[in-house]
Amino acid sequence: MVTDEYRGTRQWSRNQQAVATVVWVSFLGAAIGTMVFFALFDPALIWADVGVELSRESGYALGFFSFWAVTALTSGMTAWLVRTAPKRGSTSS
Amino acid sequence: MSAQKAQVVELFEAAQKVYPREIKGRFTSLSKLATLLLLGLFYGVPWLMWDGRQAFLFDLPARKFHLLGLTLWPQDFPYLALLLIIAALSLFFFTALAGRLWCGFACPQTVWTEAFIWMEQLTEGTRSQRIKLDKAPISISKLRKKASKQFLWITFSLWTGLTFVGYFTPIREVLVDTATLSVGGWTLFWTVFYGFATYGNAGYMREQVCKYMCPYARFQSAMFDKDTLIISYDQQRGEPRGSRSRKAERGIRGLGDCIDCQLCVQVCPTGIDIRNGLQYECIACAACVDACDSIMDKMNYPRGLVRYTTHNAVSGKGTHILRPRVVVYALLLTLLIAGLVTSMATRTPIILDVIRDRNSLYREVDGGMVENTYTLKVINQRNEARAYRIDVAGIDGLSADNIPQPVIVEAGSVLSLPVRLSAPRDVASGVNVIEFRITDIDDISDSLVEDSRFVGPF
Repeated sequence: MVTDEYRGTRQWSRNQQAVATVVWVSFLGAAIGTMVFFALFDPALIWADVGVELSRESGYALGFFSFWAVTALTSGMTAWLVRTAPKRGSTSS
Repeated sequence: MSAQKAQVVELFEAAQKVYPREIKGRFTSLSKLATLLLLGLFYGVPWLMWDGRQAFLFDLPARKFHLLGLTLWPQDFPYLALLLIIAALSLFFFTALAGRLWCGFACPQTVWTEAFIWMEQLTEGTRSQRIKLDKAPISISKLRKKASKQFLWITFSLWTGLTFVGYFTPIREVLVDTATLSVGGWTLFWTVFYGFATYGNAGYMREQVCKYMCPYARFQSAMFDKDTLIISYDQQRGEPRGSRSRKAERGIRGLGDCIDCQLCVQVCPTGIDIRNGLQYECIACAACVDACDSIMDKMNYPRGLVRYTTHNAVSGKGTHILRPRVVVYALLLTLLIAGLVTSMATRTPIILDVIRDRNSLYREVDGGMVENTYTLKVINQRNEARAYRIDVAGIDGLSADNIPQPVIVEAGSVLSLPVRLSAPRDVASGVNVIEFRITDIDDISDSLVEDSRFVGPF
């Protein structure tokens, strides 16, 4: 019945998969980190200590993106190392 | 061997865009209902009011969460953690029992994808029309269809983003600000951010999210056993598959019940063939069950060639609902929920923090007395002003001379109270443990004790 299966847009390449996974997993990590961190610390007080005036909204956002930068870096690094590791049993050293 | 392996890896990429075909049936109706219900909840809840303010408001700028009449403070974070643990355990419990119910019916990825596919069908038509449209050269009508789809998608996404922000900022204010174009920077940013995430996830990434990005999809099989509800093709009944005339007798040419119509493949949102057995891409949406049932009806064969069943049932063994893992999950869940409910019910709506003045250990004053200073932080978590009595104890003759009685704290606010304690020098030598007790004058069951130190000469 369906013989003309349409071959349109390709599904994700390995690189796309890697990028999407890294972005998403690090996002989740950052979300959890942000939640716990700001439950314990009030951003308004942290910035007051440094002597910078910053609204809580900006504090949260800045905190979240800092967390995300760190988690994305580590998860990206991990993905990259795993993917570029020499194959087991390969002769090149 | 290795050459063969290399070939397999190459074949792995030969996949195509999935055009899920529309289907009607029991489970599709159920999933539509779930979609409507969940979307209705998401878009509706921020508009509910309670006592003149938004009923569910996670007021991050004020660091207070309002849930109906309850106000949670950052100090209540353990409740949130407990709630998340309960949510995770429930997911395990339902997975062990009923497989990927979550994926098929409740996961936001599925729910929003459904909504986006619906808009796609509305503007671009049925599956075959969509395939044809994508193949067709650019034309006015193609552009018009694509543009109206994008318009619907983008509007819906932005509304989604706005609703999301509405959980954290009063949604009525957000709407008014948006309408008058005076919306704040962060509100705008998060609306667009969340809207864009919705657009990308539900419009384009779809089943790829489940396949490549979802951790649950990978580890859910660990919770499966042979008694878990899965969607399965009855191989014994269906094989050998083959096409035949509708009027042909059942079992003609030794064929099984599968007429190889491919409908189950076409309706699959993740583009798999359920007849190849249980695959991790399967999100258990049961679209293939409906598709196959409709064909079985047409052929006058009994339904259920593809059905909800368990591994044990398919292989002719009985299905056990009560298995150790199910019982353990259920017990843990009951325990945690009971714990959460009791601790919420017995929660004292007062918080007392005692901070000892770190700049001076003690001060000797006239009359053979020693003085220590503290700062008390009294937090009234109730939504009305309360009067408290604060007592100190721990050393004979310990007294506080500057605590106002009663201490009045406004609704949902923090009072910072400098306190000077004095005790006779001869009984207060060294480090002494003392306690501050705070009691709600109108409701003495609300009482709290906080320990601190009183330091005297060594």
